[in-house]
Amino acid sequence: MRSKRKCLVIFSVIISLILGGCSGKKNIQNEKDQKEIKIPVILTIDPSTGKKNEEEVINAFNKRYKEKYYIDVKWVLQTEEEYRTNLKKLNVTDKLPAIIPGIRLLPSYYQLMIHDQRIEELSSYIKEDEEWRNIIEPSVLQACTEPNGSIFLAPLSTAFFSCSGVFWNERLFRQAGIEEFPKTWEEFWTCCEKLKNNGITPLALHTEGTAWAPMLFATAELADSQRGIEFLNTLYPESYQNENGFQLAHTLKRLFQYTTEDAMYNDFDVSYQNFVSGKVAMIPNGYWMIDQIPSSVVEDMRFAPFPGNKLISSPETFGWAIVSTYSEEVKKGAALFLKYRAMFNLQQKEKVLQMKPENNSRLLNDYMKAYTEKSQIIPNYQVKWNSVLQEETFGEYIPKLIKNQITEEEFVLKADRSIEQYEKER
Amino acid sequence: MKLQKISGLQRKFLLNIIGLLALALLLSSIGVWIYMSKNMSGVVLDKYEFLTEKMGIDLDRLYKKSEEVTANCITDKNIQKSLQTEELSEQEKSALSKYFAYIELDDVTEYCYVDNKQNVYTKSYSALPYEEFEKSKIKEKLQSNYAKTNWIFQEDDLFHSGKKTLFIGRNVHSMEYKHEPGILLFKMEEQYLKKIVQQEKETKDIIIGILDNNGQICMQFNPKKISLNVHDKERILALSKSKGKGIITDGERLQGGILQAYRQKESGFILYTLVPNDVLNNGTIQIILVLLGIYFVVILIALQISFYISKKFTKPILMISKEMEQFDGNDFSHTVHIETNTELDKIGNSYNEMLYNIKNLLQEVKKQEKELRTSELNMLMNQIKPHFLYNTLDTIYMLARINGEKTTMKMIQSLSTYLRLSLSKGNDIVTVADELENVRSYMEILQIRNRGLFEYEIDCQIKEKERWILKLILQPLVENAIKYGLSEIEEGGLIRIEVKEISSRLTFSVYNNGASIDPIVADKINALAEVPIVELKNVFPDKKHGYGVINIITRLRLKYGDEVKFYYELQKNGTKCIIQLPESGNDKDEI
Repeated sequence: MRSKRKCLVIFSVIISLILGGCSGKKNIQNEKDQKEIKIPVILTIDPSTGKKNEEEVINAFNKRYKEKYYIDVKWVLQTEEEYRTNLKKLNVTDKLPAIIPGIRLLPSYYQLMIHDQRIEELSSYIKEDEEWRNIIEPSVLQACTEPNGSIFLAPLSTAFFSCSGVFWNERLFRQAGIEEFPKTWEEFWTCCEKLKNNGITPLALHTEGTAWAPMLFATAELADSQRGIEFLNTLYPESYQNENGFQLAHTLKRLFQYTTEDAMYNDFDVSYQNFVSGKVAMIPNGYWMIDQIPSSVVEDMRFAPFPGNKLISSPETFGWAIVSTYSEEVKKGAALFLKYRAMFNLQQKEKVLQMKPENNSRLLNDYMKAYTEKSQIIPNYQVKWNSVLQEETFGEYIPKLIKNQITEEEFVLKADRSIEQYEKER
Repeated sequence: MKLQKISGLQRKFLLNIIGLLALALLLSSIGVWIYMSKNMSGVVLDKYEFLTEKMGIDLDRLYKKSEEVTANCITDKNIQKSLQTEELSEQEKSALSKYFAYIELDDVTEYCYVDNKQNVYTKSYSALPYEEFEKSKIKEKLQSNYAKTNWIFQEDDLFHSGKKTLFIGRNVHSMEYKHEPGILLFKMEEQYLKKIVQQEKETKDIIIGILDNNGQICMQFNPKKISLNVHDKERILALSKSKGKGIITDGERLQGGILQAYRQKESGFILYTLVPNDVLNNGTIQIILVLLGIYFVVILIALQISFYISKKFTKPILMISKEMEQFDGNDFSHTVHIETNTELDKIGNSYNEMLYNIKNLLQEVKKQEKELRTSELNMLMNQIKPHFLYNTLDTIYMLARINGEKTTMKMIQSLSTYLRLSLSKGNDIVTVADELENVRSYMEILQIRNRGLFEYEIDCQIKEKERWILKLILQPLVENAIKYGLSEIEEGGLIRIEVKEISSRLTFSVYNNGASIDPIVADKINALAEVPIVELKNVFPDKKHGYGVINIITRLRLKYGDEVKFYYELQKNGTKCIIQLPESGNDKDEI
């Protein structure tokens, strides 16, 4: 009996060992759920400088909200025009990122996005968040608010960084015997003449990419009169066949007398290269270009308001929108980022203002001086004029105007055609 | 090899080997079966999981391709222009109708693009009025989202084929302005989804299908016509209700097999595979069959080896067994000769030795039996005489008394006591008191016969009536002491008998103060303890000397075993013979 029991025990042990040995379980590793919410954004790498736009604030946010939110940036090397065209394609193919920067620079696209409920109405976010609301300068918030009170653009906190003026090369100016930037438009044209006579190309301009650099000069010149300012303040002017339109055409034609040959049919990146390489004496642009200028030439560069002490600024152009089709948690994260961006912007402003002038670059001091010495802020035509004019008419007809293929009258007529077309499509 | 011809021991050995092998192989088979069924099915499942994922990725590619092609259409300049307020020219419309015929999407059987002005662009022969398009359910389905690429599986109510068909459709919005969207629609051939399966090789044994997001089977590939039960079908259709993307079901056990499914994220279409049970087990069964074949060969080889090994060991055992069976008790010549260099050689030698000892013992027993018969015969003859002898001695005693012959009286009395105690009614065990009385009578008779030769002393330190001893042990010693010890004196001899207990052993000693025993003889006697009983009688072969001692030692060892001690001590003046029993003599125990 004992031996039988022993056999039974041994048998059981062997069976258990076999079964135990055979029951090797796969190590199923329970991975932690990925809780970090990714917020897709497409941002550009400046084709002129290779610098990633907005990288600093993106990195700061990702660090601050690590493992909770992540701004997942797809960096694209595109010109502004390519980027805007891409945005439109992304919309119609339902591939938009969660946040759209600079949408306000495309007026009809912006309206289309509102109409099709493609971008999020943000007043509930901003107005209900006292902290967020308080850090936005009232004028900036006002600029981003639609006539019906709704808000689709999350702005920067301040207009401090949104002003455009003229970057000029002091070294080239001195070569032409010019000591300071012209204060009036008369002086400006004289200055251009002097520079040209001294073999220096005065202006860096372009006709592609909505031709915004010559348009900044032209609209700034237009704003030299009260009539012109009123015209610029008008949203979607009904006609350009007036003094303002003709002046604009005339100024454009005049500006291109002082620019490089490659200004035709090229975009801003060519103009920029001409400027930073010291070939051209002036280029219009905003605060954001200060950091992009190569350190090798930055000592030669200065910043000034447009003649007549004008700065062009429309804070809404810096407003970023949130795409509605994303999940609530992504939209919440996107709104948090836009608030963080406004706060980051405010801190940057305070930091810049607290810095001692002797520690700053001359460019920054020039910009601060222009902003703080109460230059006249005039609206950016890009947020006021119709998109057909900006995106089609200017690109097609400015070169013809410059080449005298059309007259100034015909140019303004084409501008009015754009209004008709825009209205028809609208 | 026939089991009947195999000896019992070998058969048992072989049966145990078979049993052990069978157990080992059974257990290993169970282990292998469990392991293989788990791992082989795991391997098979891994293979089909990979296939499922691969086909799922192909499904992804199909979707991405359809998305890319439709995106190119949507952003096409002419299509965008068709959404603007102004009508396209007839030439532009014609060009646009043909545009779709050249898109890079395979298996498009029909297409239609409807702009926001109710213009329908189709193949030239596919006249599709806007009203019919308006009635179609497809338009409703596309309105649910902005511009996503939709895969819609439904009955073709647009081109009237009547079959359920896959449509790829998308709303076409203006990139610039707020306009009503157009609708772009491709009707796909059945081949479109089937080629996902057709480009794979390992598909003939399993069921592969594609479900749309409403649980409709868009395509099923079942070359072996495997029938599924209702429960399994329901489970497959219910996949459309599950969530997630990529592999959403990985190795789910159904009655008919293992289910795996991959969801294409954007379209919601699900590619599933069902691996039938027979495919899962096929590899395992094949391996088990091969294994069983190997086991069978192993058993055969093991049995053959076991047979030869067991034969090698059982052969000498059988030889011994055979010799033992044939031993009839008379013929001692059947010795065995084993040379295996194992313990079996010792067994053989021991058997031979045992045979030799039995032979000796048998001879001794026969001799003793002969002596016993003679003794018994004598006793029988003597038993007739005791009463007559006692009566005669009583008469002599009476006559001696009448005549006043005291010495005669004493001698007759002692002889009578001696005879009575010697006979002891046939018992071999007597009390120490009777033994001492017997030797005392003997010594008194000899005192009368040899006047003045010796005196005797008896010192008994135990309770003599409560201790037992083999009878007639002391008398031969006293006889030897007088005969050899006192042979050279005329008077002054002393015989002293001591009885005491030393270390729980009953000890007798007989001392005489005469001539000491020859040391050679004493050593020879003292060495008798090491001599086997059967050899004792050969120690003094002449039978004239030592017969009494050998007789005592033999009787003592037969009664008390080899532990009994018997030896002579040479004293300064005389000789002492000592007997020490291995016990205290408290128990009366017959031989």
